[in-house]
Amino acid sequence: MNTLTTIDELAFAPPLQQEVEDTTSDHALLEATRTGDQDAFAELVSRYRNQITSYIYRMTSDYDGAVDLAQETFVRVYRARDRYQRSYAFSTYIYRIATNLAISELRKRKRRKLVSLTGFFQPSDGAEPQELNPPDCRPLQDSELVDAERRNAVQRAISTLPEKYRAPLILRDVDGRSYDEIATILETSEGTVKSRISRARGFLREKMRAYL
Amino acid sequence: MKETKCEAIRCELDELTLGDECSVAATQHLQQCGECREFHQKQTRLRQIIGGLGTVEAPPDFDFRLRARLANESNAAGFHLRVLQWPFATKGVAVAAMLVLFVAGVVLVRRNMVTPPPSVPSDSQVAVSDQQPTGPAPGPIEVKEQPLVQRPAVASNDAPRRIRSERPVQPKRPMAVLERANEGATLFSDSQRQAAIFPVDASLQSLRVSFDDGHGNARTISVPTISFGSQRAVATGNQFAPKGVW
Repeated sequence: MNTLTTIDELAFAPPLQQEVEDTTSDHALLEATRTGDQDAFAELVSRYRNQITSYIYRMTSDYDGAVDLAQETFVRVYRARDRYQRSYAFSTYIYRIATNLAISELRKRKRRKLVSLTGFFQPSDGAEPQELNPPDCRPLQDSELVDAERRNAVQRAISTLPEKYRAPLILRDVDGRSYDEIATILETSEGTVKSRISRARGFLREKMRAYL
Repeated sequence: MKETKCEAIRCELDELTLGDECSVAATQHLQQCGECREFHQKQTRLRQIIGGLGTVEAPPDFDFRLRARLANESNAAGFHLRVLQWPFATKGVAVAAMLVLFVAGVVLVRRNMVTPPPSVPSDSQVAVSDQQPTGPAPGPIEVKEQPLVQRPAVASNDAPRRIRSERPVQPKRPMAVLERANEGATLFSDSQRQAAIFPVDASLQSLRVSFDDGHGNARTISVPTISFGSQRAVATGNQFAPKGVW
């Protein structure tokens, strides 16, 4: 465990105090929105629009749909501003709304039975049909292109995960949230979150063998 | 035993935050177990790739579109939202009132459709002509269209005699006969008086006249051979001479 010994280190201390202030600020902004302050709501939107859009995009793999659902998330926050309770952090609250919207969208797609033309096979454990994702074995051309290809590959691999594994994996490994916060967002236990994340990483390890 | 230890170590490694150091026991196990070491390396690599996905930014017009969407909702759907925000009791009352109105409307419409036509009294029969009074009091009845006396008299005992019982009233019948016991004698008008005089065979015990009501029903009237103003009947000295001159 690192200890703080210099003034410079104090300046770059872990942002625990700042997180508390941000949380308070989020509540204060929402309170101001409740009284009719549109600028306060605009500030809330500017703080979370990229995070929410990115999170929903990782869940759905559809950028335009993710933007639409992100707007729907903020619309619901605005509509429910009078009923918001301060028992949870605002980030937990807004991520829960975004998660529910993304999962609803995934279930709608499942009902529509969109079939990929690249082929798929049914995993033995009853998870969603997974696409065959052959790695690119050509010689490396450029590190940036390689990185881009790798990112596309992992995004495609995440999109094949069952929805109950997708959300905790993205919240943990992409957004860096704690197990406790993920459990609150998904309204489940910490043990279940850990189990699902471990399972999701196992799926991805199999799919991303060529890149690991 | 080894598998259990490997599973526990792998769980611990899985729960670690990327970049954090693992425990002393896990470090020692990794130095000894090649499979767990390979697992840890691949797991770390995978988490680095996933963590390297980064944040996807919202489009530049995100705020504008959101504001427009909120403004549209508050303007166009304001009434709709207010209705949705009604308490359940009010909604229930509104629905119940609409149902009551609907049922009342249906009942009124059906009642108007089922109303029967006005009925004619059953104890009277239609008069001969449209101008015939329909009241119960007997009155002069004018035979206009076809005087009764111009018809060929069917004075025969063999004439069909039908006992007509009271029938249900049939409106708009071409000819019908009033059949009332309290009805007075048929009076002929002055213009019909001449036509009403016809030679009567005084030898007959009675004059029987049969009339047809136009529906195939014949009525026979039996009239004693009394002649008013007929000298021929009086002159023949008929044993059936009239009993008196009225």
